[in-house]
Amino acid sequence: MQRVSVGERLSPEEIAGLAEAPDILPLGMLADVLRRRLHDKAVTYLRVARCAFDQIMAEAVSPAAREVRLTGAPDTLPIAVSAVSRARGIAGDRAVSGFSWGDVERLARAGAGSVSEVLGELRTAGLDAVAELPMDRIDSLDEAVDLLTAAGFSRLRLTVDSAAAAERPALFLRAAVLQERGGAIQAINPLPMVLNAMRPTTGYSDVKMVAIARLAAPNVAMIQVDWLRYGPKLAQVALTFGADDLDNCSPSDDAPDGKRRAPLEEIRRNVDAAGFTPVERDGRFAVVG
Amino acid sequence: MVEQIADKVLAGGRVDAAEAVELYRHAPTNLLGRLADVIRGRKHPGRIVTYIIDRNVNYTNVCVARCNFCAFYRPVGSAEGYVLGFDEIFAKIDETISVGGNQLLLQGGHNPDLPIAWYEDLFRAVKARYPSFKLHALSPPEVLHIAKLNQLTVPVVIERLVAAGLDSIPGGGAEILVDRVRKLLNCFGKASSDDWLDVMRQAHRAGLRTTATMMYGTVETPEERIEHMMRLRDVQDETGGFTAFITWSYQPEHTERGGREATGIDYLRTLALARVVLDNVDNMQASWVTQGGKVGQLSLAFGANDMGSVMIEENVVRAAGASYCMDEVEIVVNIEDAGFTPKRRNMHYELLGDPVFREREVPRMLSLATAREDGDDSIPGDLKNYPARSREAKRLRLAQ
Repeated sequence: MQRVSVGERLSPEEIAGLAEAPDILPLGMLADVLRRRLHDKAVTYLRVARCAFDQIMAEAVSPAAREVRLTGAPDTLPIAVSAVSRARGIAGDRAVSGFSWGDVERLARAGAGSVSEVLGELRTAGLDAVAELPMDRIDSLDEAVDLLTAAGFSRLRLTVDSAAAAERPALFLRAAVLQERGGAIQAINPLPMVLNAMRPTTGYSDVKMVAIARLAAPNVAMIQVDWLRYGPKLAQVALTFGADDLDNCSPSDDAPDGKRRAPLEEIRRNVDAAGFTPVERDGRFAVVG
Repeated sequence: MVEQIADKVLAGGRVDAAEAVELYRHAPTNLLGRLADVIRGRKHPGRIVTYIIDRNVNYTNVCVARCNFCAFYRPVGSAEGYVLGFDEIFAKIDETISVGGNQLLLQGGHNPDLPIAWYEDLFRAVKARYPSFKLHALSPPEVLHIAKLNQLTVPVVIERLVAAGLDSIPGGGAEILVDRVRKLLNCFGKASSDDWLDVMRQAHRAGLRTTATMMYGTVETPEERIEHMMRLRDVQDETGGFTAFITWSYQPEHTERGGREATGIDYLRTLALARVVLDNVDNMQASWVTQGGKVGQLSLAFGANDMGSVMIEENVVRAAGASYCMDEVEIVVNIEDAGFTPKRRNMHYELLGDPVFREREVPRMLSLATAREDGDDSIPGDLKNYPARSREAKRLRLAQ
């Protein structure tokens, strides 16, 4: 506890030991100590307008969104660049993110260009971040991070595609080592982006992974949970196990059931009830207002 | 202050109401969980987590109580009102037995057109057909309703129902056992706090075991939640008749009261606090039906030692918006994933054995059944054997 509270990194053996222990509460308490040292009581949340690359964007982008996130997999780089430009036009000064590392590699292959050229063109068109950088799907994470930073992408957000729980602690430890080198990583989103409806992850596994990510990578600023994918109940509990950022919150201001049940109120209420202070941030990780 | 109370709990001491409030308001969530987990470990040292295969059957949705937090009931005369026929209930029992179940949790609205003879005949018929099958039936407000309707005392009603086949009484209808809250929820009329507790006392005296529940998250203060727990603890000191405590959050959809559901953390804190306060109740159930599988499983770290029921069927919280489902496979996966050994149990928390699906083929269940198929508004033939009280039901029975 003492070592964690001063931000010391735990050894891979210690992390493995924590990941194997059935008792999640001591783990949660440990992660919470570190989380509070880094963020005190603040929990940031980001309202994201998710928008398919081939969709009419003006309709999909709510004024309340703080980031426009392009989804889908365009076939060619010109299509991707055009989607980014259109999103840039709608987003104004808000961040535009989109696509995954796999898309970037595929576009490079399809156009017979290099990955850096693809990244460069997307960046020039106005892309602020590659939305998904799945640690379990990238052959060389070091190289990917170098290429991204060289192309002008900073404050990277590392994700997990579908790696089993047992494989993930090693990924978080890798991220911590990588962060020592360059410091480009802003956030880790430790829960899988690909959900398996027939074999869903469990509550124990989810909060344990959040806590392990927090402890394995104390030098990465944020541990995120995806609000829409994981739902308010799990996301809220994760805040007491080391998470400090709620990604992918609804940008809708519609409140058919009254103002108190509007999506934004729901987020703030859950953060409050967990004993934290909700703070809205934008897609570039700056606090809003 | 929190630390001193935590030390007292860890040393096996009993908290008073003021200390419980302090813990609820100020203890960090994981610390509260830790205290609850230590007590769970003491009471259940073998790392066994139990569950029951039974079915939640609601024999009628017609109700005169009109609690404003309920989305399930229909007033007398409503076209959507129903009463299940005996044959429909038998069919549900057959399905329950086929997936390894041994009990019905049978509860329903306060229907003025069902005299005590209907319940007695139903129970006798069930026991005649399925002698070893258990009836965990009729929460205290229903017992009171039957007493008032038939101008009988509570002990007589219990005696007659037991003679007909009642095995145990579920702890439903407790809501919050504070009359200020009950008046605001419009459920004071169906049973005051004293009434509810007194039915349980009478049941315990008659040799029945019962459960106790709490529905939180409407208008009550934390102090009132704790008063509820204290009142249960006092009765338990007196009778020792409660087998388990189950708490769940108010489900607001489609109710007259509306509002919002309390959060997942509120649930885990409330559950953990109950484990600390109710030091004389052995078993705490996880309410996955209101919290979902994930927080349901996390309950096992916050004091719960039981995953409740496979349910098979659920009508009441579904009407209010919750639609989670866990079949036996899923319950067992979650128990094992949390590092516990799953065991089937009966209402008395006696262990019955390992999961049924590991012994024989059982169909997977991906959604909970309902009382009736949509659009089935048939009136069971056996109702005509019983006199109705309401004008609407009298007319219908004459037409039968």
